[in-house]
Amino acid sequence: MLGPNGSGKTTTLGMLMGVVNPTAGSFTWFGNPPTHLIRKKIGAVLEHPIFYPYLSGQKNLELNSMIKECNPANIPKVLELVELTGRKDDKYRTYSLGMKQRLAIASALLNDPTVLILDEPTNGLDPMGIAEIRELIKKIAANGKTIILASHLLDEVQKVCTHFCVLKKGDLVHTGPVSMVGTGAETVEVYADMANFHDLLLTFSGACGINRENGTYNVSLRDGFSSKDLNQFLFEKGVVASHLVTKKKTLEKQFLEILAGS
Amino acid sequence: MLHLLKIDLKKLTSYRTFWIVCGLYFITLAFSTASGMEFLKWIARTFENFGSSLNINRIPLYHFPDVWLNLIFFSGLFKLVLGIMTVISITNEYQYRTLRQNIIDGLSRWEFLCTKILTNFLLSFLSVAMIMVIAFVTGLIYTPAINWNFVFADMEFLIAYFIEIFGFLSFALMLGVLIQKPGLTIILLLLARMLEYIVRENIDEVLPWIIPFLPLESLSNLVPFPFQRYAFQEIRDYLTLSSIAIALGWTLLFNYFSYIKLKFSDI
Repeated sequence: MLGPNGSGKTTTLGMLMGVVNPTAGSFTWFGNPPTHLIRKKIGAVLEHPIFYPYLSGQKNLELNSMIKECNPANIPKVLELVELTGRKDDKYRTYSLGMKQRLAIASALLNDPTVLILDEPTNGLDPMGIAEIRELIKKIAANGKTIILASHLLDEVQKVCTHFCVLKKGDLVHTGPVSMVGTGAETVEVYADMANFHDLLLTFSGACGINRENGTYNVSLRDGFSSKDLNQFLFEKGVVASHLVTKKKTLEKQFLEILAGS
Repeated sequence: MLHLLKIDLKKLTSYRTFWIVCGLYFITLAFSTASGMEFLKWIARTFENFGSSLNINRIPLYHFPDVWLNLIFFSGLFKLVLGIMTVISITNEYQYRTLRQNIIDGLSRWEFLCTKILTNFLLSFLSVAMIMVIAFVTGLIYTPAINWNFVFADMEFLIAYFIEIFGFLSFALMLGVLIQKPGLTIILLLLARMLEYIVRENIDEVLPWIIPFLPLESLSNLVPFPFQRYAFQEIRDYLTLSSIAIALGWTLLFNYFSYIKLKFSDI
C-alpha cells in the first residue's frame, strides 16, 4: 500500500482493524462481515509498536496470547524468529527501536495468522535494522502468509511485494502487480564516440524521444522495440556503442507518474 | 467473564504502582478501622489531663451490632484511593495507546470495558470481605457480652457498602474514559463531591426533592452517618430500597456512558 504522508494508509488499515469508525462504506474479511473474533486471526502492527512498557517482552506476549486466545506455546517460537529470546525477560521500555519493531512482528505472528498487516515496519530504523526487518518479512512470506505492507519506502515495496496499490488523499488511484512496473515503454541509455551521433539516433524508427543527459543519450523506445533493436540498428550503420544500458522503469518513477496523473 | 478479568489482572499484577496503591489502601483500611479503641483511649487520656473523666465503655464503637455500621461508614471514606487506582489503570491504556492495540488484537470495545469493570468488581468485593472480617473480629474482641441475636444484625449494610464502592469506581472509570488524561481526571475525581455540594446547596431552596438523585449524593446516602447516635440522636439503622435503587441506577449509567464513549470514538 503506497501513498504520500497523510494519504490515508494507516486510517484505512485502522478501519480494517476496528479502531477507526468508517463514516461510509463497508468491507469484509474472508467473505464475512468484520467482528472482533476475526481480528483475533489477523496479525497487525499499525504505526508504532505498542506494548506495556513496564512488562517484559515475554509478559507482553503472554498478555497478547490471552487476548487473541491462542496457544502461549507459540511464544518461544516467535521470539526465536525475531531473535529476541535473549532479551525476553527485560522490560519493554529498555528495548531499542529495532527490538520494539521486532517484538511487534513477533506479537503479530503469535496466533499464526493467515494475514499479516505491517504499517511502515522499518520506520525510524538504521540501515541494518531495515535490512533485518526486510529479511524477516521475506522469511515470513516464504511460509505462505499474506502480508499487507503499508509504506512510503518504494524501494522496500519493490523488493518484497508482489502487488501494490496507490492511495492519494484517501482515494485509490492505482492497483496492479509489482512485476508490471518494469514493462511498458523502455528507455535505453546509449553512447558512441562519433560525430553527429544525435542525428543518427533520430533516424532510428523505434525512437519516440531522445534527450541528452550527463554525456549520454536517453532514447525512449516505441512499443514493440527493445534495446536489442537499437543495438542492431547501430551495428548496421557501422557504429559500435561504447555504452548501452537498458533502464527499467522503477516503482519510484511509476509511483510519481501515477500521483501526477491522478 | 473470568477470562476478561484475567486479562486485566495480568496487566495489573506486574505493575508496581498497582501493588503499592492497593497495598497502602488495604493496610491503612485495616489498621485505621481496627484501631478505633486506641483513638477512644487517647481521647479519654486527653480528658483526664483536663481533670474530667470519660468512660469509653459507654461508647460502644465496636459492640455488635453497632460495629457494622460504624466500620462500614468509616471505610467508605477510603474509596477515593481505589478510585484513583481505577483512573490510573484506565488512563494508562490511553497514554500507552494499548487500548488501541488491545482492540486490534481482537478484544471488542465492550469486552475491553468489561475487563476494567470486572476489576472494579473484584476490588469492591475485596474491600467488603476485608471490612466484614475486621468488623467481625473486633466485634468479638470488644463486645462485653455477646448476644448472637445482635452479632449479625445490621450486616445488610455490607451490601450497601459494596454498591457504594463499586458505584464510585464505575464513576472513576467513566471519568477516565471521558477525559483520558490522568492528572486532570484525578483532580476532577477529588473535587467531584465538592462540586456536587455547590450544586446541592444552590438547589436546596428550589428543588429539594432532586437532591437524593444527585449521583455522588446517592452513593453516600446508602450508608448513613452513624456517630451522632452516641450523642443521643436517632439514626437510620436500616437500608432504604429507594437509596439502593438510585445508586444502582447511577452505577449502571456510569458504565453505560463509558461504553457509549468508547463505542463511538476512534482510538
